[in-house]
Amino acid sequence: MKTALKVLAVLVLGTLLGLAATWFTVFRGSPQGAVHDGPWSTNLTVGSSGTDIYTRAAVAVHGLLALNRGETIYYAAHEDSDGNKFDGRCTYLIAGRDPPARWWAITAYAMDDYLIPNPAHRYSVSKNSVTRNAAGEFVATISPKHFDRNWIPVANAPFLLTLRLYNPAASVAADPAHVALPTIKKVSCS
Amino acid sequence: MSARAWTGWAVATLAVAVAVHIASVWYTPHAIMDIVFSRMGAANVMHHQKRPDEHTRGIVRPSPDLLYSACRFDLSNGALEVKAPVPPGTYWSTSAFDADTNNFFAINDRTVGGQPLELIILPPGQNNEPPHIAGRLVIHAPTTRGLVLIRTLVNSNADFTNIDAVRRQATCGTWGAGRADANKGG
Repeated sequence: MKTALKVLAVLVLGTLLGLAATWFTVFRGSPQGAVHDGPWSTNLTVGSSGTDIYTRAAVAVHGLLALNRGETIYYAAHEDSDGNKFDGRCTYLIAGRDPPARWWAITAYAMDDYLIPNPAHRYSVSKNSVTRNAAGEFVATISPKHFDRNWIPVANAPFLLTLRLYNPAASVAADPAHVALPTIKKVSCS
Repeated sequence: MSARAWTGWAVATLAVAVAVHIASVWYTPHAIMDIVFSRMGAANVMHHQKRPDEHTRGIVRPSPDLLYSACRFDLSNGALEVKAPVPPGTYWSTSAFDADTNNFFAINDRTVGGQPLELIILPPGQNNEPPHIAGRLVIHAPTTRGLVLIRTLVNSNADFTNIDAVRRQATCGTWGAGRADANKGG
């Protein structure tokens, strides 16, 4: 009887520990093999098969039905270029040139991985919608306050950014840590 | 209880934890795909979803610049046939995922070669391939169940109506049983 209770305790405790480890590594963590480029990070194994079980699980949780690297390369940012976590009460400037891809877009998501409700129903800036200066550079604004141009609205809450590169140049997959991607600077907080 | 007995129980607990952990990580993609399937409506039918916005739930991180058309497939009753016109002047792709979320096929508006997509997806292990028809692609699915996803980029809001109308012509369905039978052994 005593032994049966001990066996039960081992099974219950072991199961809880095992599930807790899964929660922290897969659901709370980010895919292994991440490559960093400034505030942006990517994982080129996204969308391919035969990767390790952790990456596959994390991709299923965070990047379900993502395309492979030839079709799309996804970068994510959770913090600005100075390493501070994004705060939706603040205004940030995203500055740079068009990344080397047929098409690109920067989209803001709430921490539940869905689009952020806002009265303007805007969610991204893209190659087609962004306004550039004569030198081909653009500055986009992330802010809860209204901006007419190049504006990505956020709510007063933490958020993350996704940068999608559709049909990226071969150089991106070859060296994803050294792509000329936009910088993200915090300018003010309300 | 002796120290040795305690150690034995601790090792047993750890062994259970490791086994449960690995099994649950391994099973996670399959479980998530099951949830996706359950939310997607009837199998072997193309579902043309409206442009994603803040109310769109179900698939994480939807792109607000893309139009998604999805066909959850079940090859229990035979092969699947996907037909899709390619909207002009924009990025378009069709990709297929197995029941464990692995991406096993992808084609885009450039690689499709200037004609509508005609794709046959055979069940795993089926060898009676349909007769070769120029321009028609035939692939094998790694699992009986899976998902075909068509992405169409909205280049500009001005193009939306036209692009949306073209991508809604895409269809998917069980490939004609009579034709498949006629091809057996041939």
